[in-house]
Amino acid sequence: MMKRQSKVIIIGGGLAGLSAAMKLCELGAEVVIVAYQSLKRSHSVCAQGGINAAMDARGEGDSPDNHFYDTIKGGDFLAEQPLVRDMCHQAPAIIHLLDRMGVPFNRTAEGHLAFRRFGGTLYSRTAFAGATTGQQMVYSLDEQVRRYEHDGLVQKLEWHEYLGAVLDSEGVCRGAVIHNLRTNHVDCLPGDAVILATGGPSQVYAGSTASTVNTGAAATMAYLQGAQYANAEFIQIHPTAIPGQDKLRLMSESARGEGGRIWVPKRVGDPRTAENIPEDERYYFLEEKYPHFGNLVPRDVASREIYDIVYQQKLGIGGEAMVYLDLTHKTREFLDDRLGGIIDTYTKFTGQDPRTTPMKIFPAVHYSMGGLWTDYETDAHGMIDTRSPRNQMTSITGLYAGGEVDYQYHGANRLGANSLLSCIYTGLMMAPGVIQYTRNLGKAPEDVPSSLFDQARSFWANRLQSIKKMNGSVNPYRLHKELGNLMMENVLIVRNNQKLEQAVEKIDEIEEKFKSVQCVDSSDWANPTASFINQLYCMIHLSRIITRGALMRDEFRGAHYKPEFDLNQPADFDPHEYIDYLERSHYEKVPEEAFPQGHLAYMKRYESNNEKWLKTSLATFKNNQPEITYAPVNTSIMTPRPRKYD
Amino acid sequence: MKTETVTLKIKRQNTPSGKPYWETFETPKKPLSNIISCLQEIQRNPVTADGMPVNPVAWDCNCLEEVCGSCTMLINGRVRQACTALLDQLGSTVTLEPLTKFPVVRDLQVDRSRMFKSLKKVNAWIEIDGSHDIGEGPMMPDNIRAKRYVLSECMSCGCCLEACPQFTLGNEFLGAATFSQVRLFNMHPTGQAKKEDRLDALMGKGGIADCGNAQVCVEVCPKNIPLTESIADIGRQTSLKLLRDFLSK
Amino acid sequence: MPIPSQDRAHFLFLKLHSLTGIFPIGAFLVLHLSVNSLRTVGVWQYQLSIDLINNLPFLIVIETLFIYIPLLIHSLMGFYIIFSGKINLRHYPYPRNWGYTLQRITGAVVFFFLIYHMGTTVGPKLLYGKEQFEAAPFLIDIMNREFSNWTGRFLYLVGIVSATYHFCMGLWSFCVSWGIIIGPAAQRNAGIVFALFGLALTALGVATVAEFSLDPLPVDATVEGGAS
Repeated sequence: MMKRQSKVIIIGGGLAGLSAAMKLCELGAEVVIVAYQSLKRSHSVCAQGGINAAMDARGEGDSPDNHFYDTIKGGDFLAEQPLVRDMCHQAPAIIHLLDRMGVPFNRTAEGHLAFRRFGGTLYSRTAFAGATTGQQMVYSLDEQVRRYEHDGLVQKLEWHEYLGAVLDSEGVCRGAVIHNLRTNHVDCLPGDAVILATGGPSQVYAGSTASTVNTGAAATMAYLQGAQYANAEFIQIHPTAIPGQDKLRLMSESARGEGGRIWVPKRVGDPRTAENIPEDERYYFLEEKYPHFGNLVPRDVASREIYDIVYQQKLGIGGEAMVYLDLTHKTREFLDDRLGGIIDTYTKFTGQDPRTTPMKIFPAVHYSMGGLWTDYETDAHGMIDTRSPRNQMTSITGLYAGGEVDYQYHGANRLGANSLLSCIYTGLMMAPGVIQYTRNLGKAPEDVPSSLFDQARSFWANRLQSIKKMNGSVNPYRLHKELGNLMMENVLIVRNNQKLEQAVEKIDEIEEKFKSVQCVDSSDWANPTASFINQLYCMIHLSRIITRGALMRDEFRGAHYKPEFDLNQPADFDPHEYIDYLERSHYEKVPEEAFPQGHLAYMKRYESNNEKWLKTSLATFKNNQPEITYAPVNTSIMTPRPRKYD
Repeated sequence: MKTETVTLKIKRQNTPSGKPYWETFETPKKPLSNIISCLQEIQRNPVTADGMPVNPVAWDCNCLEEVCGSCTMLINGRVRQACTALLDQLGSTVTLEPLTKFPVVRDLQVDRSRMFKSLKKVNAWIEIDGSHDIGEGPMMPDNIRAKRYVLSECMSCGCCLEACPQFTLGNEFLGAATFSQVRLFNMHPTGQAKKEDRLDALMGKGGIADCGNAQVCVEVCPKNIPLTESIADIGRQTSLKLLRDFLSK
Repeated sequence: MPIPSQDRAHFLFLKLHSLTGIFPIGAFLVLHLSVNSLRTVGVWQYQLSIDLINNLPFLIVIETLFIYIPLLIHSLMGFYIIFSGKINLRHYPYPRNWGYTLQRITGAVVFFFLIYHMGTTVGPKLLYGKEQFEAAPFLIDIMNREFSNWTGRFLYLVGIVSATYHFCMGLWSFCVSWGIIIGPAAQRNAGIVFALFGLALTALGVATVAEFSLDPLPVDATVEGGAS
């Protein structure tokens, strides 16, 4: 019997979607890519600093295992270790692949790939293409996909929006419902499998570095259809962004990787401009507090420190919520070559030149470590079984997820330059499993009764029609802003249960207000407002998952900081003590005096906290609310231990 | 205290075949406002300056930091991205129009698929054997990488085409962006394999010879891509190919 | 070499347009302006050179092959190019865009000027030349009449300036589009060189016009040691 061609529908044209498309084409599948816009314009283009791979190009002794260790530690042990190990070991091959595809990675004098430092590691392991690495990678993948499109293997459906999965009576995903954003027609795409590569949800926050398409609507729709959403409360706040009315713009971590220094004036409310503040009156607080990692502490740490400097110590520039990111000690040529992209961005949006004036920056919502729960399978040796249909599959059979929309790779905090890696890795890694899944499927899409698709189509057509008829008094865009502000005020860097409880209530109020939304656009052609209202509905649910998850997790882990649950690590604590402690406690009751004073008590606190909270939180949609449960994390490779960066 | 406002005159069009019309809006001028934040303001309060409720203005945007190329439009008659158009640098009255060299979809949205078709026509990709691990890519001096990088920053926004007097709604001209991409791929050690095919595609109707050297492209390119250098370089490559073909075919 | 496809023919015609503008048309322009400027040196020298040219064997063949046909191709393609573009100086008034726009305007001006110029010189020469030869007294007589009033002088000045501009801008454009000069600095420097060259050519033309206008001398048949 001839094997029939698998038909796979990919939602999203960023790095994860494009790399999955490329791999699936190679494996002989028929691929349809659905995207809001032209593929070149997806949010992945905003990634700036680089992509990690431990290739030890500088003879520092780096290795994929070090990369694995840094990633797991950076994520405060909440990431799935077998997957992260595989990703870190695949990383060099991924860089070589991208290089072969023409990504203009910066090079050394000899012509080899150049690497720079990034946060959360002491090694130079970030390959980069100026300060627009994500853009360059998207373009190269887009070109490969264009080549397959040219050869007739890929069909692109740009200007289309994913509305939901078509599920059969057994709950198996049989296709996708899509919405043509120009004609406003709703249609069904039958397929063997659907891959969501739809990126992050940062638009639920009013002040984020996200693109306008990053509403998280597709992932939320999967959740509303029964998929579990994991670790939602872990939202990364990037330490360095510049303000704007429409969005906050990222100033890459690579600025610090290339030597950028963070400082504030030592005097509260110092009115002088940066150039007029002498060196000894500048407070390089990250370098002083973290002599080991300095300005390159992980993002959760840096953001918390900036927050503390600005709001607790009131040391922000001129009393405002800003700190300096200083590159002025670097030469113009060096900056133009290594960081040209962000230097231009800063200059264009603020009118000031970072080559001569220190940049003024502040943290901004940036990334979601959490996302749709996805599965994987290991073989007898604990290695990833690359052919398993379970890899990257959500709790809905046949519905896959990869890239920022999944959850396993970054734990409680993502290291810089690991997101591009996880996007490409998941895209490539899931493909053989997806093919395997489609081979195992009994029915071809043509054998699925057409009534199933008709039902889904008419459900969504009716839903959009009823949205268009909404004629209340509330402007949906204003309601979105209200929701975003609410999340900014209550579910950001520093969290406390009282505010989180209030936020949960206020989200209910917003949901109530949503009922009186007015569809302010009456057009039957290219009407963006009806889509937006549907996305807003999803964002309300998503913000509820995030807030509820944050409320319930009573601990301090990675980006999720609740001061009252801080375990108060002693200043002189060494993480190795914890490994000693675990070993000794295996055989005997460890005496108090075996460790410096207070350390044992701290380690016991740490151990019991991990027993309770070193878990993946899983949100399931029940009775219009997220029901949160907890599942164990695979920590079989490296024993969790306290993080320390100073 | 009266808040400062800005007047936006926007050229609107309901459907691709609809008749364009103008509407005027007033939006508050907040610190760091750009055209995007004004358009978002109109979404939140879709009322014209005369107090008439209307459909919000439709426009394309995504990254809002000038790397995706979406929000390209005519601002005070000139082509540029709306995200980097800060109100402080524009007057108190700003006109917004859709691009004129691409078919209008609705209001400020246009269909730029022609650009992507052009990229397909010139084989704008590198022919790799596959995505499996076959080791390192070709060695390349950093100065070649630097040249490629500058060209590779093209985000297919369409500024160079909109401002090009030779590029019109009806013709087949490929335009500066496409020529520059051909140069990019012809510069890559592996990409060179398809060099002749790419040049062939440029030596036809709408190809490099249709360029009129007005060089507006390089002036309006938001990424400062040396487009005219690319055009001249492609000129040289096609001239040499012409000679090669003439003498050796 | 295989027969070019229709697509390639389009390209070849545009290339031909570009090439013919330099050679032979541009070359002829330089020759024409240079020879005519001999008038400023002396009528006798001028007369000699005209007769020399007009007594070349197969002159009509040379003229047809190297002037009339290339000029026709160049003009036809030129108008095609003019109509294929859309001028946009209003919003993009950059120097090179001015250059582009003027290139199209001067091209059209020169075309119409040439119709006039050939109508008053080549036309009569071809029609009556046979009886009237030697050519010089006949042609110089025509030129003296052309420059006897301000309308004529103005027409010629416009025609000459347009032609030298069109040629020198065309030279620069040729160098860019054939890939002879590539980098921005090279393009700028070449622009300066060609502009100077253009000024020199214009000076030749204007001097000739001035000489004819200020000192209209009739000549007799070319005889050694005649009028000077």
